[in-house]
Amino acid sequence: MYKQCNPIIVGGEPSSVIRTTDGACIPFDPANVDFQQYQKWLSEGNAPIPADEPNA
Amino acid sequence: MSQLQVNRINDASGGVLAPISSVMRNRIINGGMTISQRNGTSSVTITDTSLLTYTLDRWFGYGSSASKFSIQQDAGAVTPPVGFSDYLGVTSLAATTVAAGDLYFAGQYIEGFNTADLGWGTANAKTVTLSFQVRSSLTGTFGGALTNFGNTRSYPFTYSIPTANTWTTISITIAGDITGTWVGATNSVGLRVFFGLGMGSTFSGTAGAWAGADYRSATGATNVVSTNGATWYLTGVQLEVGTQATSFEYRQYQQELALAQRYYTKLGASPQGSSGYQAYGAGSCNTSTNQNTALTFPQVMRASPTVAFTANIGISVAGGYTNCTLAAAYAGTSSTLLQTSSSATGGGGDGCVLLSNSDSAAFISLSAEL
Repeated sequence: MYKQCNPIIVGGEPSSVIRTTDGACIPFDPANVDFQQYQKWLSEGNAPIPADEPNA
Repeated sequence: MSQLQVNRINDASGGVLAPISSVMRNRIINGGMTISQRNGTSSVTITDTSLLTYTLDRWFGYGSSASKFSIQQDAGAVTPPVGFSDYLGVTSLAATTVAAGDLYFAGQYIEGFNTADLGWGTANAKTVTLSFQVRSSLTGTFGGALTNFGNTRSYPFTYSIPTANTWTTISITIAGDITGTWVGATNSVGLRVFFGLGMGSTFSGTAGAWAGADYRSATGATNVVSTNGATWYLTGVQLEVGTQATSFEYRQYQQELALAQRYYTKLGASPQGSSGYQAYGAGSCNTSTNQNTALTFPQVMRASPTVAFTANIGISVAGGYTNCTLAAAYAGTSSTLLQTSSSATGGGGDGCVLLSNSDSAAFISLSAEL
């Protein structure tokens, strides 16, 4: 299971996702094997937990 | 002008001397099994049946069924072969029946940047020699394979262990593959080295020849996992260009660690120990519960790493320490900007430091494995 991250810079694009099993932060890099697993998980019809409310 | 042309140079005792140039002679990282950032000398039972489990640095294990074998640096505490201090130790945890489609193996993936010069998949493919020291409680013929990443080309090999519980030196020369698709100079997988621990017939092929198939070992090889309590130990692994195995390319500890850190880095707790408040980076508070911290990696990593915290990674702000969790990170191979969440009491714009919070065992891991 995964949870979406808010953009680090307000108004920017999300750059990572949290793997909820261990709290690890996975950057959006196609060469990262964990990101590849996340993409595969999405392609199987799964959806991540929405991000918390953005920071003020 | 005269020309000296030889295949190898022996020392007085008959041993093969290393070539004058030894830069990147050994394509294997941590072939001497000295680096074990993740687990030290603790045993790791291979439980994940969908992904590789990394054990000693760069070395993974995999099994079709969970908990059939373990991997441990220096398992069994036997004396390593002469010239080595450590080894990768496999212990079978059950008498496992290996079905046709089952795979049990240890191995290492080599990055394309470190194999592109082999020219595999072209008419100029170079011959390589794989050498290693191996020891098992079992005797007989064992197997493994070199393969491409696309599961379309493989070269099964066999080796013999004639005497139980005795280190045996193995050398296998493999003509480069002149066909097939091999990854070039990229950060993807250039070549895979597998040591079979139990391989079903689907993944076993004829030894000593390239095949257009996904073979991970050789037909008829001994299945280590089929004997409960069996051991299989490995060290001194070297993959080099040429038709002869030269002496093992020893690297300084820091060199080997740096090579391994391109794929996995453990910041903080280490075999060398650390203070309970080891600092990782400085940053600033966005709000009272949200912080941004810069984190610089000790080596340029293969890809933007997955970042993970153990318990008791914290934020220091306004003189206090509070544990935090990861909230987001930027992609980057030499550094990243981490966003954390905590109940720290700083206000927006206050400075902060990311650190271990009174826990010398806490650490941050960076993983960019192949």
